Amino acid sequence: MNFRRIKEFFVESAIKISGIASIFIVALIFFFLLKEGVLLFKTEKITHFIFGKNWYPISDPPDFGILPLILGTLLVTLGAALIAVPFGVAAAIYISEVAPGKLKEVLKSGIELLAAIPSVVLGFIGMITIVPWMKIIFKIPTGLTAFSGSIVLAFMAMPTIVSIAEDALHSVPKAYKEGAYALGATKWQTIYRVVLPAASSGVVAAVMLGIGRVVGETMAVMMLTGNSPSMPRGMLYPVRTLTATIAAEMGEAVQGGDHYYALFAIGIILFLITFAINITADLVIHRKRQ
Amino acid sequence: MIIFQEDSVKAMDNKIIHTENVDLYYGNFHALKNINFSIAEKKITAMIGPSGCGKSTLLRVFNRMNDLVEGARVTGEVKIAGQNILAGNTDLLNLRKKVGMVFQRPNPFPLSIFENIVFGLKIHQMYQKNKNKLMEIAEQSLKAVLLWDELKNKLNHLATNLSLEQQQKICIARLLVVKPEILLMDEPCSALDPISTARIEELMQELKKDYTIVIVTHNMQQAARVSDETGYMLLGELVEFGDTQRIFTAPTDRRTEDYITGRLG
Ligand SMILES: Nc1ncnc2c1ncn2[C@@H]1O[C@H](COP(=O)(O)OP(=O)(O)O)[C@@H](O)[C@H]1O
Ligand SMILES: [Mg+2]
Repeated sequence: MNFRRIKEFFVESAIKISGIASIFIVALIFFFLLKEGVLLFKTEKITHFIFGKNWYPISDPPDFGILPLILGTLLVTLGAALIAVPFGVAAAIYISEVAPGKLKEVLKSGIELLAAIPSVVLGFIGMITIVPWMKIIFKIPTGLTAFSGSIVLAFMAMPTIVSIAEDALHSVPKAYKEGAYALGATKWQTIYRVVLPAASSGVVAAVMLGIGRVVGETMAVMMLTGNSPSMPRGMLYPVRTLTATIAAEMGEAVQGGDHYYALFAIGIILFLITFAINITADLVIHRKRQ
Repeated sequence: MIIFQEDSVKAMDNKIIHTENVDLYYGNFHALKNINFSIAEKKITAMIGPSGCGKSTLLRVFNRMNDLVEGARVTGEVKIAGQNILAGNTDLLNLRKKVGMVFQRPNPFPLSIFENIVFGLKIHQMYQKNKNKLMEIAEQSLKAVLLWDELKNKLNHLATNLSLEQQQKICIARLLVVKPEILLMDEPCSALDPISTARIEELMQELKKDYTIVIVTHNMQQAARVSDETGYMLLGELVEFGDTQRIFTAPTDRRTEDYITGRLG
């Protein structure tokens, strides 16, 4: 009896400590990011940083405008979302509602396998397939474009979207479906009039988390988008993303210099974007739960 | 067959459902055994019997919901308004429009009250474009289930947030919009308190004027209160079927008597 109580106490404390620790660590990371990042704004105006159109970090004088990088990130993300969301949601519907038992399991494992491929490998495959195809299909001078990045990122977002959306669809009570069938609804009517609305919060969360993953992705975009820091001109032109900029330049930035601080400030922006996406996903889920 | 003789006067009634030698198997399990009987039009027919005897299964034969169960196999004939609905070429969507079903646990869709009511119209492509007509039908059907006054100002509220009684009435109302002929009710009150149950029973008496109702219940008092005819089922067999009053006062089968008098189930 007493032993059980002691055990209970230890388990409880361990859970409490790890919970607090994880929050603490996140806070610490953000604080560190903030501390390094804000130093840039001693010399640089925030508006100029966010809306400046030129990213010339090593010219003299340097120019730290990240608008092209923000737009690059948004463009690549939007492209990836346009591909991954319809395909991902459709795949989730197929797996959850249509596929027969055995195929369902095979497909689910397949999706998990896709999630397990390291992004550098996907980037590499993209480089030797999508990039040359892009050049031929669109007759453009380089296949390293925003679109190439979007395609590969779509593959990365897909597993998240499919597996979370599939979970949400799968957990729609059978009673709803029976109710619809008993009224004479077809399978498709049941799916899009009852199952999808019932699972909508989960599906939206899946989409948001998938997009969150795309925004933060670095390696594959660096390999595929051409990394040109000028203002993006379209999907078929090279662009540079926020993440790629940090990854590519961190090694050469002098510690304690403005360039170094600027990269941290980019980190803050990135953090805020992903944070906003996650908060939105949370809000959607909670609004629906009520 | 003796049991039908006493009720032969009733044979004058219009029968809307006829079953002939209906057997149903779930895989190897013989769930319905040679069911033969007829259900009268615009009457309330109750099916009683202990849990697991096949009441729900029988009900789900009438709207072919067992088709959704993998491994379920039905043989025999079920004629509804003269048509054998077990025939391969039966239009299931149309059948289910004609034969609506209310479930044990109220299952309104997680949509607004209005969307729940007009759901049947939308899936059957009736009056889709005509918002006024949809509204008018929604009003009629909510009035028919005695909910209009309580809910007329809340049509855009989520139906799943209503009380269970209201939810069950919504489930009945959403059937009425597509003008069914038969309402199948599978223990419609088992999730409800006695007062709500009484109100649903009252509603059934109203609905009986326009619809044929088949209700499954494990509550004998309920069957005695609401139904005109009653069938007693046991282990997949229809043991006895006939006028409710007679079944409850002078059952001819020993097994029915045991059940009625509480020695079984
Ligand atoms: N989907 C199914 N698969 C296999 N057996 C089933 C299925 N549904 C019901 N049964 C069996 O058929 C019998 C009758 O079930 P049911 O019609 O639900 O009984 P009741 O409604 O009278 O309680 C039970 O023994 C039950 O276990
Ligand atoms: Mg049952």
